[in-house]
Amino acid sequence: MSAADVRITAEPIDNGRCKFLVSEPLHAGGVRRFASSDEARGSPLAEAIFAIPEADVSEIIVSGNLVTVVKRSPAPWPVVGRAVGQAIRAALAGGQPAVASKPVAPAKGGSATADDALYERVADLFDSQVNPMVARHGGRVELIDVQDAVVMVRMAGGCQGCGMADVTLRQGIEAMLQQHVPEVKGIVDITDHTAGSNPYFAAAKK
Amino acid sequence: MRLLLLLPTVTYRTVAFVEAARRLGVDVTVASERPSTFERANPTGLVTLDFADPARAAGQARAFARTHPVHGVVGVDDDTAVVAAAIAEELGLRGNPVAAAEAARDKHRQRQLLAAAGVAVPRFELLTTAADPEGVSRSAAYPCVLKPLRLSASRGVVRADTPAEFVVAFERIKRILEQPGCHPASRSLLVEEFVPGREVAVEGLVTQDALTVLAIFDKPDPLDGPFFEETIYVTPSRLAQTAQQQVVACAREAVGALGLREGPIHAEVRHNDRGAWLIELAARPIGGRCSGALRFGTGGSGLGAGVSLEEIVIRHALGMELPTLERERQASGVMMIPVPAAGVLREVRGLDAARAVPLVEEVVITAHPGQTLVPWPEGSRYPGFIFARGERPEAVEAALRAAHARLDFLSEPAD
Repeated sequence: MSAADVRITAEPIDNGRCKFLVSEPLHAGGVRRFASSDEARGSPLAEAIFAIPEADVSEIIVSGNLVTVVKRSPAPWPVVGRAVGQAIRAALAGGQPAVASKPVAPAKGGSATADDALYERVADLFDSQVNPMVARHGGRVELIDVQDAVVMVRMAGGCQGCGMADVTLRQGIEAMLQQHVPEVKGIVDITDHTAGSNPYFAAAKK
Repeated sequence: MRLLLLLPTVTYRTVAFVEAARRLGVDVTVASERPSTFERANPTGLVTLDFADPARAAGQARAFARTHPVHGVVGVDDDTAVVAAAIAEELGLRGNPVAAAEAARDKHRQRQLLAAAGVAVPRFELLTTAADPEGVSRSAAYPCVLKPLRLSASRGVVRADTPAEFVVAFERIKRILEQPGCHPASRSLLVEEFVPGREVAVEGLVTQDALTVLAIFDKPDPLDGPFFEETIYVTPSRLAQTAQQQVVACAREAVGALGLREGPIHAEVRHNDRGAWLIELAARPIGGRCSGALRFGTGGSGLGAGVSLEEIVIRHALGMELPTLERERQASGVMMIPVPAAGVLREVRGLDAARAVPLVEEVVITAHPGQTLVPWPEGSRYPGFIFARGERPEAVEAALRAAHARLDFLSEPAD
């Protein structure tokens, strides 16, 4: 497979966040989140994206064939996106994994241990409250991972592609996390909403 | 500072407004016409309002505001613009008078007020769906346009050049208006003179009765009927400066005639050798995903760096400092992708090729697999949007057309 065969689809969420769907898997070992260039060391894809000039990238999340990039720069995504695309192709063409495996948690203490504890609490909240609520609209929210106290979720069923998915995420799930697990610092939706085939609310031009 | 954001459950605007409010760091309460499943869990952030009854919604908002003070209210479409006006009046917030917002939503009332104020509008006549179309068709002047009073996105708008076409159009619109879900009070339509000419859209912000024009979009595809599905918007306008001045003057007169005082407006104006004609004025920002074509400021950092229309609207509603209202230097455009044919969407091919067209920034498919695509005039949902930016509007328009030509919508007949 050559770099030219790799298909990448950019889906900006807003001027700060964009999802890149890649035709080839980038990371099979769950989700990896990088909040700084230091954390990206050893993962060629993340290193290259943090190094994009003028983008001022603040966060990268890689899961399967999905890369979510968060930037501070006002530079438009078409400009930054080309550089991200080049980084993805270069990482896939390189000899080493595009994303290194998640570091093993130290035996005692450390953020990974704290994340594991948070994961359990968030998972309990999802099982006991969040999913029963979204199920009323045929939806489902999967807890993918917790990294550095940031929760990563994927929406499915009636939530995937729903016109009100962002309200569910921000006003529903995020608000519940703030109330019940206040140590959580943020939430990231890594859903491919364009693939949703049965959204509960479908948008019309209004 | 708390914003009450009125989001109908079928709007495309959710992400743009919710994320803009988050960037501004304001507390948001999202109000919808149907309850969120999280409303009990987050009664501060979610509330259900009766969008069909603005006075009742204002009462509900009053009850909410007793425990959660609200500092600004924003509606995002024609109906919620009226609800926002009612809430603003009830709570003493910045907003339009209810009568003005209602007049902007009701095409007949709007025509009456504009005509009385001397604003150039097409000749018009109000009919109900109970009217005798054959009788009316004999006295109508041709060509004419039949349009429902309240539907948006040019749904149900049909041109007729002959009495026979009039009757067919009337019956077609009647079927749309008598579908379940259409408000009984909306079962009326306007018959109006067809005004030839080039059509533009004016985006503006009204502050203390004064209109600031944010952008004028050309609509390069002729909107001559028989249906009036929108396609391409490109800004800056290539109309001659004098024509643009007439367009802006027409929009200003219309804002004054309707009594709009605060908030965003979106106006459709035609221009021909007799001047500018106000086709429609809405007390809301541009619809669909089209606001993505607008960006304000010159880049860099701080206030005014790549600011979105939604951020401007929210700042205005809350009385926050406004950034520059000058649009970015580059030309920009959006194509509302036309419905290719009636049917159930199975797949969209050619997305990568469309995105690879130079100047194209984004191709968004909003229709989901399995969705029934309904062409105009019965339909009102575009299957997607294409965005492009470049140095010149001609190049932006060409890029939008080139990207669209590379898309292939595969669908199969609906049952």
